[in-house]
Formats: sequence, structure tokens, C-alpha cells
Amino acid sequence: MAYPLVQALILTFTSEGGAGLTLANWHSVFSDPMFWEALKNTLLLTGVIIPLQVLLALLLALFVNSKFRGYMIVIYLITIPLALSDVSAALMSYNIFSPQGYLNKVLLNLGLIHEPIYFFGFNVKSREFWIIVLTEVWRATPLVFVILLAGLQMIGKEYFEAADVFGFSRLQKFFYITLPLLKTSLQSALLLRTLFAFQIFGVVWLLAGRDIPILAGETFYQQTELQDYNVAAVYGVIIAIISVIISWFYLTFLKGAKELSES
Amino acid sequence: MIGKLLKAFKAETGIDVEFVALTYNEMLSRMIAEQKSGKVTLSLVGDLHGGLDVMASRGLLQEIKDISLPNRTFIPTLEKYSVIKGKKVYVPWMQATYVMVVNKEAYKYLPKGLTVDDIKKPTKKWTYDALLAWAKNLKEKTGSPKFGLPMAPKGLFHRFLHGYLLPSFTGYQAKKFNSPGSVKAWEYMRKLIKYTQPASSTWAAMSEPLSKGEVWLAWDHTARIKPAIVQSPEKFDVIPVPKGPAGRGYIIVAVGLAVPKGAPAKEEAYKLIEYLTRPDIQISVLQNVGFFPTVKEAAGAIPAGALKVLAQGVVAQSSAPDSIVAMIPNLGKLGGKFTNTYREVFRRVVLQKMDIKKEIARAGKYLQKLFKEAGAPIQ
Repeated sequence: MAYPLVQALILTFTSEGGAGLTLANWHSVFSDPMFWEALKNTLLLTGVIIPLQVLLALLLALFVNSKFRGYMIVIYLITIPLALSDVSAALMSYNIFSPQGYLNKVLLNLGLIHEPIYFFGFNVKSREFWIIVLTEVWRATPLVFVILLAGLQMIGKEYFEAADVFGFSRLQKFFYITLPLLKTSLQSALLLRTLFAFQIFGVVWLLAGRDIPILAGETFYQQTELQDYNVAAVYGVIIAIISVIISWFYLTFLKGAKELSES
Repeated sequence: MIGKLLKAFKAETGIDVEFVALTYNEMLSRMIAEQKSGKVTLSLVGDLHGGLDVMASRGLLQEIKDISLPNRTFIPTLEKYSVIKGKKVYVPWMQATYVMVVNKEAYKYLPKGLTVDDIKKPTKKWTYDALLAWAKNLKEKTGSPKFGLPMAPKGLFHRFLHGYLLPSFTGYQAKKFNSPGSVKAWEYMRKLIKYTQPASSTWAAMSEPLSKGEVWLAWDHTARIKPAIVQSPEKFDVIPVPKGPAGRGYIIVAVGLAVPKGAPAKEEAYKLIEYLTRPDIQISVLQNVGFFPTVKEAAGAIPAGALKVLAQGVVAQSSAPDSIVAMIPNLGKLGGKFTNTYREVFRRVVLQKMDIKKEIARAGKYLQKLFKEAGAPIQ
């Protein structure tokens, strides 16, 4: 496992044909405005998608965990997107929002609009951004949902029975019992999702191309289109470094959770 | 396809041909090695013009003036390029190019003074300014932009920039990248983009948007528009590209057949070249793999339908008297960086409205560096 990692690192400090070590690849990445735009977009997408997913997944998990009649069916429905690859999710999304897509067809047929609304294109980048967010939230929220639901189901009933004795309100039960005991699950979900978000690729690539450059997309572009394996390796290593920082951040920041659940 | 052709060739002549599929780099290094050791095994090579050009300048190819190919007229533009440094080194085998497609609906919105005939022929009136006026009309009179370009990362938009726009405005693909003509070209793109369908940046091939009617006028590689035309040949015309102040710039992807120096089976190779350039074989290549004939007799004999529509446009384009033919430069691994430079300048200058002169000065220098690094003459 270490071998490709070391190889990638070596690639970033060497150049094709040139002997010896060089910082040229790193320099060319940092002086390329596309890199900074890609970094900004990746951070922005992560920053918007993750909170939305966690909030939505938490609400869904709480809802399903109340175990109403037929809740199993709801679980199945929510988890369907888990089986989808990012590419198929993106294609489904494209079929809905493209100029000739379902949404525009419905609106045109209802007479609400007379010309299709464009969701994709170089002059509607913010719309592209929100379609990507929507697609990612739809596609990847089930993962967070499953983890949180499992966490909720592990919380013992006795806590809530005790809370009832003390006359806790529902809100108090949520903030003083559910949320603290859910911290470990939240931590895992956040860690997994944030790491995946930094590798976001298929959805953005298919829906926005390089209108919205992202780190993984630029890695791919450098490797396949520009055939600059050294620069592509720099991008790869940068994604890896950011991932390590995020993991460290979550593990330190949410450290209290583990102790609490063990006590 | 090649297997089928070679089998038929053997049945006719009794000559057994072994086909070896090699990448360009593999083929070049093998030919160099065979030449050096004096033990040549390849008798016939087929490659793009750019590759054959390199082989010829390294002295790896035989002059093939003595080949006899009766009853076929090669397209003069292609014939001209098969003579490298005064020596006839290959026979044009197949060609592909990038053309424009028009949904016949769009003819209703032609700008004043421009006729369908002007475009199809093409005449001097079919210019980039006329295209701009047409695209503007289409947008304003139909309510949405109807001109499209394959601008997605996997699309071939960069070929439009380096092989069509710049040669038409400057006469060259890269040589005059930093020039007043180039400034005009980029200013033109700033205007054209206003009437270009914005979803272009998500399209890798124009076939689907054409089929769906999302665009009525588009530019793309022949292979990437073919499906739309096959689906409804009566709906579309394939037309030559417009001309700019310097001429009608377009790319020809020429594939040729050449004989390496010291080939062990030269006579048999000649026979195979004769076979592969027969009009009926050329038509079956077009039907199966979408590469166009290089002999006029074949172009005239294509049965009616989608392929005929396509071939008419291709032949009209390559026969235009004001042609500036651009061959995709053979820069090896640097090819991606070459095309990316055009896309980057487009992004910065047209989409982000950065200063044209500053950007083309910087990119022009970079292009020169790329050609130098690749050891290719700047075009």
C-alpha cells in the first residue's frame, strides 16, 4: 500500500527526462489560477453539501427511528441511492434538468414557461453549482442516514425512561441524551462524508465539466488530457494531505464523544 | 474492418497480409530500430499525416513515385500534402475533418444577403461575420440561442480554436498567435459567445443536441455528428465552415499509406495500396468506420442517405479555393498542452473578459516554447 504512495510523492518532485529533484511541478500547480479555483470550489462544495446532508440524514433517522407502521419501507426508499454510482446519479440528474429534460418538459407543458430554463452552461454556473449540491445530497445522504440510524438504535431505552421520570421535554431529551450519545456515529459519518466530498468527481465532471473546476477533476484533466503525470501527482498528493488534515481535525475535535459513550 | 478487407485482398491476389496494430511511438521506434539494424520487416505503414511527416523527415520512408493507381483522382489538397520536402512519400488513404451542421429550419433565419447556395458552395459571402449575424438572428427570432460548440472537457472545441478560428483570422494556427489578426479573432469570439447555446460547455459531441433540436447550427468532428445525420438525413445539411479575413481555415485529418525504406515486400505493398484506394473499398471504409474517401470517384459514388449528406459537406469544404488547411501538429506528448493553451486563452479572454493583448502575448510565447520542445516547426 505504501509503494504507490511513495511513487506518487517521488513523481511530484521529479520531471520527465530531467534528472534530480525539482520543485517545478509544485510551483506550476500553485501558480496556476485553476488550482486555486479548484481548491475554492472543492471547499465550497464540501462546506455546503456536508451540513445539509448531516442535517437531512439526522431528521430522517429520527423520523424513521420513531418506528411508525411501515417504517421499513421508508428505510428502503431512502437507501435506494446507495446502490447508485456517482455517474448514474449525475446522468439521472442531467435527464431531469437538461433543457429537454423532464422538469423543463413538465413546466413547458403546463404553460408555466415558454422557453426551457437552462441549468447547465458557462453563464449559469451558480445554477450548475446548486444542481450539483442537490444531486450529491440526494445521492450520498443515505450513507449518513444509515450510520446515524444505527447509532440511534444503539441508544438504550432506559435513558429515555429515566428522562421521563424527571419530566424532560422532547427537546430536552434530544439535546441532553440523543445528541451526545450519537456523537460517535456523527463523527464517523462526518469523517467518511467529508473525505468522500474531497474526492468529488463524477457528478461535477458530468454536469459542469470544467465550468466548475474541482481538485479531483483537475487531477484527471492533468493526467489524461495534458498527460502531465508529475503535475497530476501533485494534485493527488494535495488531496491526500487535505484528507489527512480533515481526519485529524475530526478525531481531535470530536474526541469527547468517545469518552462520553464509553462512560 | 481491416481483417475483413485483408481477407478479401488475399482471396483476390493470394497475398497474405499480417496486420500489426501499433501506437505511433511503438511504430516509430520499431522503424528506427529496423532501419538501423538493416533488417526491415514492415512493408507498409498507415498513419496520420503528422506521423508520416516525422518518419519522412527522419528518412524512414521510400519515395513512391513509381506506383500506378489507375482510374482514381486524388483530392488535390491531400495529394499536395503527401509530397514532403519534394518527395512523394505516401498515398492519401482516408480523411476526416470537422464541419458544420445545419438543421434546415435554420435556413429561415439567414441574415440578409446570404443564400443557402452561398453556404453550400461555399462562396466569399459565407464568412465569420455572416455566421455571427446568423447566430444572432437565430437567438433573437427563435427566443433562444441555437448555435452550439462541443465545449465540454471531452469535446473537441480546441480544434475549432486552433484549426479554424485562428487560421481564418491570422493564416496560421500558432505562428501568428500574438498578432493583430489574433486580437480580432478573440474579439470575434467574445461576440459569438453571446449567441452560443450556454449548455455548450457540457456537450462533448454535437450529435445529441442536434438530434434533440437544442441547437440548429453546430460545428464538430464528422464522426461526432454522424449519429444525428444517420437518424434523420433529411433534416440536416453538412456545410463547409465560413471564411475569415485570412481565408477559410480548417483541419484535415489525413491518413496515408507509406512504404518503409528497404521494405521486403514492396511490390505486394503497392498492390495493397492499389486495393485500399479503390473507390468501392473507400466507400465501404466510410460506411464502416466513418473515414472519408480520398479519391473523387468514391465521393461521387456514395449511395444517397446520411453518408452522402456528410460527404457532400466534407468534399465542398476541402475543394474551397480559399482554403487554409491546418494539419494537427505532431507534438507527441505535448499535444495536450498545446490544445489546452487555446482553451485556457478562450476561458480567460472570452469567459472571464481578461485583457486580450496580455493573454495572447503570454500564450504565444508558451506555444513557441512547446513547438521548440517537441522539435516541430511552428505552423
